[in-house]
Amino acid sequence: MNLKNIRVVYNKERMDMLRDRRTVFNMLLFPLIMFPIISIGFNRMENMFREKAKKEAAQIMVLGAAHAPELDARLRASGKFEILPLAADFKQQISDKKLRAAVEFSPGFEQALRAGGGAAPTLTLYFYRTELRSEMAVRSLDELIGNYRTEIVQGRVAGHGLPATALTPVLTKEQNVASAEKVSGVRMGAIIPYFIIIFCLMGALHPAMDLTAGEKERGTLETILASAVSRGELVMGKFLLVLTTSLITAVISLISYSATLKFAPSAAARGVGKDFSVHFSLQAVLMVFVMVLPLAVLFAATLVAISLMARSYKEAQSYTGPIMLAAIVPAIASILPGIELNPALALIPVLNVSLVSKELLSGSLPWASIALVFISTSFYAAIALGIAVLQFQREEVLFRA
Amino acid sequence: MPDDPLISVRDLSKHFRTFKRREGVWGAIRNLVKRDYQAVHAVDRVTFDIQRGDMVGYIGPNGAGKSTTIKMLTGILVPTGGEIHSNGFVPWEQRRQYVKTIGVVFGQRTQLWWDIAVVESFKLLRKIYDVSQRDYDERMELFNHVLKLKDYLDTPVRKLSLGERMRCDLAAALLHNPPILFLDEPTIGLDVVAKDHIRQFLKEINQRYRTTVLLTTHDLDDIEELCKRIMIIDHGRLLYDGPLALLKQKLLRTKQVKFVVKDSEQAARLPALESDGLKIEPVDHLTYRIVFDRTKISVADLLRHILAEVEVRDLLIEDEPIEEIVKRIYAGEALKEVSA
Repeated sequence: MNLKNIRVVYNKERMDMLRDRRTVFNMLLFPLIMFPIISIGFNRMENMFREKAKKEAAQIMVLGAAHAPELDARLRASGKFEILPLAADFKQQISDKKLRAAVEFSPGFEQALRAGGGAAPTLTLYFYRTELRSEMAVRSLDELIGNYRTEIVQGRVAGHGLPATALTPVLTKEQNVASAEKVSGVRMGAIIPYFIIIFCLMGALHPAMDLTAGEKERGTLETILASAVSRGELVMGKFLLVLTTSLITAVISLISYSATLKFAPSAAARGVGKDFSVHFSLQAVLMVFVMVLPLAVLFAATLVAISLMARSYKEAQSYTGPIMLAAIVPAIASILPGIELNPALALIPVLNVSLVSKELLSGSLPWASIALVFISTSFYAAIALGIAVLQFQREEVLFRA
Repeated sequence: MPDDPLISVRDLSKHFRTFKRREGVWGAIRNLVKRDYQAVHAVDRVTFDIQRGDMVGYIGPNGAGKSTTIKMLTGILVPTGGEIHSNGFVPWEQRRQYVKTIGVVFGQRTQLWWDIAVVESFKLLRKIYDVSQRDYDERMELFNHVLKLKDYLDTPVRKLSLGERMRCDLAAALLHNPPILFLDEPTIGLDVVAKDHIRQFLKEINQRYRTTVLLTTHDLDDIEELCKRIMIIDHGRLLYDGPLALLKQKLLRTKQVKFVVKDSEQAARLPALESDGLKIEPVDHLTYRIVFDRTKISVADLLRHILAEVEVRDLLIEDEPIEEIVKRIYAGEALKEVSA
């Protein structure tokens, strides 16, 4: 193999590819805009709905209001509720979302409270779980009733001549000793490798299919095979370009993600934790990239080898579908809590890289695992690359009728 | 014996294994489980020599094995059996050095970049083939002169017409001035003017550089214009290899006139034509065909004859299709003596 020829093939394919809008979009634009759109957009939207729901008074029904005149008065005075006249089909109305919730007081509710002793009087809250507005109405109801309950308890305690502290004999304090890096690492560390792996694969997908099956489809494969570059040089040039796009896509997605975290942290970290802040060392991020490198080689070589078997771009898409799945499932598995890196898992492609990245981003440096993951992934990558090179030597693959 | 041949092919064979598909839904399911393969002899023990400076036509019906032969001659495919020595190389073994001495054009494909200006492709090929800037400039000047490339050198390939693209492809294949040029259907799909351009150019480089040309074609006019020698292949077997003149004398005697008469009233008058031993075959509604032997009646005479009898709306004179010629070779017409 001749480096000069590999470079010629590489440059040719690169020039060709940059004129293709689909590639440019998939490789550069999509990973760049996806994170801000997803995190900020969704956050905005949810906030909007929440605010709107909060502003409008929730429609509720009070059953047995005569048993609890004081609470009934407080509900009416709070301004948070619109109290509808009683109807027998209130449960149905909640289901139909015409009514948000209903409160039912047991007979003699406040009387029993004032008397004290005996069985505690009950009140029942009716609502519709998973319906945001219904749950919010119940939360407001609960808050109001909770305050009322506290007042009653305090009144009783005072009535017995006890100090207010009698209610809280022990004070619990929580103190977090984990560094901020550890906390965000464990939380974000699980998600970031997943994104990098998916984008690595996505970045490689289109060029891998276009440079092999697409070439067959356009009928340019024969002319390239008849030129003065060897098949080895041809496959290496193509493979290297696929690898480049894959890595560029991954880097861009990471940059975009970090930028989103930096400029809109609350939005990006939603669901991760409120007290979140970004604390990754550059070293950890670079190490993650070193780990991803052989994985990107594995993806690029596998996709090239498989798409070459297809006769058209469309056929290649159906062949690469299962590959996508095979990569995404272990990448997701690493997000699951409780899965920890061990020597056996360090041999499973994709999962191993994503697990070791999780560790790296949380600040630890498990050198033995790092070595094992790197070597095993490199080994798989070498095999895939070897298969890709062999595929280019096989007439029945190149000229499938 | 003259010089050693530039290209020497001995008992060349290529067998493919193709997968036999069963019919219907049940067949499709069985295909998944058990596959039956069938050996196809795309090229079967073909032997020929080509001398330096020759222009040889290689013809045959679709699927006869023309393209497979070209692919083996260019080193893309490895033969199942037999030998090729071309310009001192065994194509598939020393492919990289070898292809620097050949040019290849596949008529329905292009080696030019689809979305990029033509000149960029030339620059790339210059690098791949290590052509010096001086040689490159010199050759580009010749191509500009003969092929009139200048006007669209900066146009992306996708915007070129088929004829323009073929000219560019030819120039691309000859950029490194190879002594051998393989052309697979170079005039397919081109109009008459474009075909003529290509033929003139091929003549020019053949005379100027003594470039050896092997071209496959469907179009007998290509052969008549360019080649003195012709090889006919069908079902992988070489049926004829010899001078075009001889074949013409023996086999290419017939042409056909296809014509459309004005209306059914005119059609009714057709039998009058048949008196002179001409046979009229109906092709379509109001469309008829006469196959004639041009050694017996000239085209001009025949047309005069037809036009005197009936009113014709449209008319087309064609060579007999290659498929018909091949059929007649099989029928044993005068070939034995020719190929012997």
